Amino acid sequence: MLYIHSTSCISAQHTFDDVNLVVLNPVEENKLLAVEPNSNQIPNAVLRRMGKAVRMGIKAALSIVNNQSELKGIIIGTANGGMEDCIKFLNQIIVYDEGTLTPTNFVQSTANNIASQIGLFTANKNYNITHVHRGLAFENAVIDAMMLIKEHPLDNYLLGGVDEISTYNYNISLLDGLYKNEEVKNNNLYEIETAGSVAGEGAAMFLVNGKKQNSLATLRAIQTIHATDEKIIASNLKDFLASHLADGEKLDLFLSGENGDCRLNKYTKITEKIADTTTLRYKHLTGEFPTASALSLWFACNFIENKKVPNNMVKTGSIPTEINTMLIYNNYNGIQHSFMLVNR
Amino acid sequence: MARIFITGIGIITSLGESPDENRIALKQGKCGITDLELVQTRYAGKIPFGEIKIETETLKNQLKATESGVTRTSLLALHALEQAINDAKLSASKISSSETAFINATTVGGMCLTDELYKDSNKLSIKSSYLSSYDFGSVAIYLQQRYQIGGIVNTINTACSSSANAIMYGARLIKNGYAKRVIVGGTDSIAKFTLNGFNSLMILSPETCKPFDNNRNGLNLGEGAAYLVLEAEETCKSKKIYAELTGFANTNDAFHPSSLSSEGDGPFLAMKNTLDVANLTPFKIDFINAHGTGTENNDEVESRAMLRLFNEVPSFASTKSNIGHTLGASGAIEAVYSVLNIMHQEIYPNLGFENPIESTKLVPVLSYSKKEISHVLSNSFGFGGNCSSLLFSKI
Amino acid sequence: MDKEQLKLQLKQQIIESLNLIGIKPEDIKDDTILFGEELGLDSIDSLELIVLLERNYGIKINDPKEGRKVLVDINTMADFIEQNTTKQH
Repeated sequence: MLYIHSTSCISAQHTFDDVNLVVLNPVEENKLLAVEPNSNQIPNAVLRRMGKAVRMGIKAALSIVNNQSELKGIIIGTANGGMEDCIKFLNQIIVYDEGTLTPTNFVQSTANNIASQIGLFTANKNYNITHVHRGLAFENAVIDAMMLIKEHPLDNYLLGGVDEISTYNYNISLLDGLYKNEEVKNNNLYEIETAGSVAGEGAAMFLVNGKKQNSLATLRAIQTIHATDEKIIASNLKDFLASHLADGEKLDLFLSGENGDCRLNKYTKITEKIADTTTLRYKHLTGEFPTASALSLWFACNFIENKKVPNNMVKTGSIPTEINTMLIYNNYNGIQHSFMLVNR
Repeated sequence: MARIFITGIGIITSLGESPDENRIALKQGKCGITDLELVQTRYAGKIPFGEIKIETETLKNQLKATESGVTRTSLLALHALEQAINDAKLSASKISSSETAFINATTVGGMCLTDELYKDSNKLSIKSSYLSSYDFGSVAIYLQQRYQIGGIVNTINTACSSSANAIMYGARLIKNGYAKRVIVGGTDSIAKFTLNGFNSLMILSPETCKPFDNNRNGLNLGEGAAYLVLEAEETCKSKKIYAELTGFANTNDAFHPSSLSSEGDGPFLAMKNTLDVANLTPFKIDFINAHGTGTENNDEVESRAMLRLFNEVPSFASTKSNIGHTLGASGAIEAVYSVLNIMHQEIYPNLGFENPIESTKLVPVLSYSKKEISHVLSNSFGFGGNCSSLLFSKI
Repeated sequence: MDKEQLKLQLKQQIIESLNLIGIKPEDIKDDTILFGEELGLDSIDSLELIVLLERNYGIKINDPKEGRKVLVDINTMADFIEQNTTKQH
């Protein structure tokens, strides 16, 4: 059991300071680029070397860790870390034929840079880790945080998921068929029956501990699966719900990771049927990226806290008057799947 | 909480393709750091590396890894992982059980294909077969699919401490009831990307590195992979057990992205917290497998941290002058070496050492010897201040 | 190019290559210690400056220790460039 005490989110939408999930920023050239907030917390001397993933991560983190009691751990999930810097350095290798190269891109490209910069900036010498397991990088960070809380229930931890769109990973994933070839908008992403989704990026951070009091949401359980057969996903989801829901307890909302890729509809359809409740979706707001599930957890916390769900996110069903229990399902490219059960 | 036992090990480095081959070479004080033969780079012949002299295509054939898009990093992993699971006699049904987890570590992933990645990421050619093989997760995803591993699967990248953290995460999965057995370790291959990266930081030595020597002048990069099977005490009653994982800790130096603080708070706390977890006093440590990269910064700081923690610094040595720095694999490779220390009650020499660092005066182990070993502490420190230590104990 | 022009150019190049946000050439005096409190540069910046010298002035420094002697302030860098330059600047 993991209790969430505060949250922050940087995404393509208005999720940071004044949250507004009704007026949407549009998809442009099949990308949903995150809107970076200005931050006066971070000096220029620190910001000057950072790529967007690190900036998003540290800005989202500092907005919830300042003035808090000491963090006993910084747990970040990111599939790619600073991909833009990584390929900039790679391009230097080729362009300068392995001559004298500038090290900044190399140092910034290491995946653990987000977590370590947060540690550096907050002078935090405790547990510090980076999970990079593609579409389950954030989920493994969650499992890590759950274990830490079980081990030390009173301590505070920073849990987060971050990834950026770089020109380069966009190119690679586009060639790999992850994004659509035809241009789509926020409001027709799910209607166009073709392969691929739109690219996204963002950072979501959570201050978590084992204390129920004053928490805004509870992450009750999580499960991760590697499989491609939707029947395996279905049977795992049934078992997951059976073992974690109390007798007679029903789901109030199902937040689906549907992303407009027609090849993946079989997974969202079957999970939707099992959830058997109002279905919401969010990837027309965030785009698709390996740690998008971190943003889905932020949405869940937001709905529970504000008791409101924007209409543009509803796929089927009506918005319940009480939001107590939510199921989040996500999959990345049909091979990595996760369930999270979130409560008031 | 459950005790964690090591029931299988597998390894490949420039010293050898199995635990036995590695042990023999370590005993004999062999050095696997040589001129590059397989990686195409202008530094071939100018800077030495701990290169494994088996061509990628040969590895593919040996391992029957005929799927498209398999990288050298994955092949090294496959070689070592297969050894570890055979050694622990894990059946296919055990591996596919939801109680078996797999925690990998890598810092290079598919970026060993530097030239292909350059073309694909800049859209300079028609797509290659490696599009889903570049990222860090690709190695574990490939191995999960190949072995149908049924439990939690993860990849960790905390730079040079990655696989120490993979071991720690796996052990905690068992302790917290998320798994009964875990396969843990790491892999990295020599990549034009990382060799130019370390070169741009001017920390690659033009000769074989000299850990803890006063005139050390940088590190050598190496490649390799190692995996260990960890099992909860209850599941391995009738099995052979090599050693117990009794302590672990992860800390951050919080000083600088690519160098350690002069007092070494991160390394000191990693070692100290590990002893606290195991409830051991410092004088119980018989041997330290040091991080000892051979850079000016690391070896001096690690020495200071050891002096801070220990009234009398125990025997210690680095194997970086045998195999180079294998980055994301180094924590797991050195875990296997620590297990060998315990299994055979022996310690191996730290090559390349002549004179102690002036300010710390510490002298590493200089020759092979038998030694009574109950507890081995193994250090892994990385960029971003990520420091981890592991403690292996004789049962 | 005379020495004053060289120093100005050097300041501009340093600001650009180290991405010194909000700092203008006139903020860096000829004797401002580069690795002091004022600019807050560190060991990675010193390596960046070594690359700058090679790419813009054709001067190769192989030993970071040698770099530390040259990269004291704008004056020492400009002197070093004048003595060693192989490229027209």
